[in-house]
Amino acid sequence: MDDTIISADIVVVGGGSAGCTAAIRAQEALPKGRVVLLEKANIKRSGAIAIGMDGLNNAIIPGHATPEQYVREITMANDGIVNQRAIWEYAVNSWPMLQQLDAWGVKFQKTASGDFDVKQVHHNGRYVLPMPEGYDLKKILTRQIRRAGVQVVNRIMGTRLLVEESGGQRRIAGVLGLDVRSGAFAIIRAKAVILACGASGRLGLPASGYLFGTYENPANAGDGYSLAYHAGAELTGIECFQINPLIKDYNGPACAYVTGPLGGHTVNALGHRFIKSDYWSGQMMLEFYKELHSQRGPVYLKLDHLAGETITEIERVLHRTERPSRGRFHAGRGHSYANDLVEMHISEIGLCSGHSGSGVWINERAETTLAGLYAAGDMASVPHNYLLGALTYGKIAAGHALDYIASKDVAGAGAETASFSEAIDAERARVLAPLARTDGIPPHQLEYKIRRLVNDYLQPPKTATRYERGLLHFARTAEELGQLGASNPHELMRAAECGFILDCAVMAAKSSLYRTESRWGLYHYRLDYPERDDARWFVHVNLHRGKDGTMQFLERPVAPYVVPVSDSELHSYSQLRIAEPANT
Amino acid sequence: MPDLPNREPAKAAQAKIVGNAQAVRRFDVPVVVDAAKCVSGCHICVESCPVDCLAIDLATSKATMKHDDCWYCLACEIDCPNDAITVKIPVLLR
Ligand SMILES: Cc1cc2nc3c(=O)[nH]c(=O)nc-3n(C[C@H](O)[C@H](O)[C@H](O)COP(=O)(O)OP(=O)(O)OC[C@H]3O[C@@H](n4cnc5c(N)ncnc54)[C@H](O)[C@@H]3O)c2cc1C
Ligand code: SF4
Ligand code: SF4
Repeated sequence: MDDTIISADIVVVGGGSAGCTAAIRAQEALPKGRVVLLEKANIKRSGAIAIGMDGLNNAIIPGHATPEQYVREITMANDGIVNQRAIWEYAVNSWPMLQQLDAWGVKFQKTASGDFDVKQVHHNGRYVLPMPEGYDLKKILTRQIRRAGVQVVNRIMGTRLLVEESGGQRRIAGVLGLDVRSGAFAIIRAKAVILACGASGRLGLPASGYLFGTYENPANAGDGYSLAYHAGAELTGIECFQINPLIKDYNGPACAYVTGPLGGHTVNALGHRFIKSDYWSGQMMLEFYKELHSQRGPVYLKLDHLAGETITEIERVLHRTERPSRGRFHAGRGHSYANDLVEMHISEIGLCSGHSGSGVWINERAETTLAGLYAAGDMASVPHNYLLGALTYGKIAAGHALDYIASKDVAGAGAETASFSEAIDAERARVLAPLARTDGIPPHQLEYKIRRLVNDYLQPPKTATRYERGLLHFARTAEELGQLGASNPHELMRAAECGFILDCAVMAAKSSLYRTESRWGLYHYRLDYPERDDARWFVHVNLHRGKDGTMQFLERPVAPYVVPVSDSELHSYSQLRIAEPANT
Repeated sequence: MPDLPNREPAKAAQAKIVGNAQAVRRFDVPVVVDAAKCVSGCHICVESCPVDCLAIDLATSKATMKHDDCWYCLACEIDCPNDAITVKIPVLLR
């Protein structure tokens, strides 16, 4: 079969939240230019917002919150290990993005006077903007993509990046990939690449055992983390895992941000509240974890005390948008919000800066450490960036990618594709190899095994002995990647994803071993180093693939804050617990 | 009775180098298509699926769940113009 060959000025990999705004921004600035949006699914329903979203978690709306407040809050929630400039850039650009969404027809909750109806969920500030009718968000973005004239290429998955090396300089040259329908190999040349591939959402195995029963959209298998890693770009904070409080078994959000402002809250088996704030932070997750594993567990979301019309309103939101099938999950068990508590658990691990802090290292211009390569959204290192962060940073990334391709040493054609033939041939052979192994191991079985091992060895709390054992198992499993077999292009996609997942597992294990302290609550809770150690570890831990092909670690200092945060504030997220009343 | 010979060293070595064998297993899948309502030639649900687990069955020309990879997101069900699809919660979660 012939290769699919595409060439572009800018290629965006992943057409979810960040990828859509990046492509729109780039194409609008380049009316005659070629902006390609590459998507392994179909942009009309891909990514975390396939069925829209029920709210913005981090809107910084004048009159309700300020960029200073927000930057301070996110610094506290991340125990101080942040690049404040990157958060600041989000904070000041998010309000224009929100106004743009409003103009595009995205429906936000407003008060009778037409003001945005912002709610408090975070420990300190007010940033949550409900979207009770947010189910059409992806349709609206898709319409804007079409209007801008972006060239959308659906069902092609990026598998590796193409890097040009000359005179000791490295820069991006394109993307290699697989057409997951036809099985054709794809070569996409570009001057700049924006990665927007979402979270590493298929890392741990859901307790149900169902491979695709994940919190994240399971199309996001950690592709972006792996693509950046193999291209030699730096990643950061990989030890700061994503773990979410979810509806047990359903493994989706309950969702406390919708129900909290309406009077819902988390309780233990005694019916008592035990956390001050339902905002998802590692510190909150640690309290949740402790409660679950104590005699006061399990933990529930309590709504049964609410008035009938409030429950109807909650159902109207939760059963139409974001993860609407939670309605039929509850109904299938004969449960209702009016009569039953919603049993909660904590999820398997993932990597996602949108919710926690691990991702491809970017600065406030969304630049990675590889020239011409940008990253945005859940896979890029701006912590707790969520939906509005992905949308805003997509746009920021495109703005700087445009400047980059206009700069004089990039504006030319770049090296001939023929000069990459060795890298291209090797990747084609690697990606298509499972097709030739008619009796090879089916990808779903190997994936199950990798992710089961992730649960066994990496689920926090962490210890060096367990993590080192885990690494031995991962090394063994890496050899089995070479035995994968695929009988069609779909399985070929799943086979390549096994490689992404394993890469993420190894990065997660090694980063966690590197940081010999505990931080971010449950996300990096080490039983062998239970204390936070600011004297030694007030640094970013970054990793990259060295010239010899091994994983290298480096520490980067925390850049001076643009918004001062006092020492006591830096510990405020460690005080989320509500003590049990003395007589119970 | 003679001692059972210890064939483990030889068989263990062989197990490392023989090829793989396969069996086919039935799966209960979450997406149920009402063939009477599904219109031949329409592809809408197949295009909607974010994990590409639906396909048109070549024998019947109707949509079917080909791979057990479902996120129970409901995109296919919502987008089907003929209400031919019902998504159930996957049995392992139900
Ligand atoms: C269930 C759920 C509920 C959430 N609730 C909220 C909320 O209420 N409020 C809030 O603010 N945030 C919420 N979030 C977070 C928010 O949705 C995400 O932070 C945001 O959408 C991330 O955008 P993204 O572009 O990084 O990733 P996505 O939107 O997930 O997009 C990634 C895209 O990349 C594609 N892709 C992946 N790999 C490849 C590859 N190799 N090649 C080509 N394409 C690829 C995927 O198919 C996908 O389309 C929620 C997330 C989830 C999953
Ligand atoms: S969208 Fe509906 S009618 Fe169209 S193929 Fe799918 S099931 Fe059939
Ligand atoms: S519910 Fe979602 S994941 Fe499942 S088949 Fe339908 S579109 Fe695909």
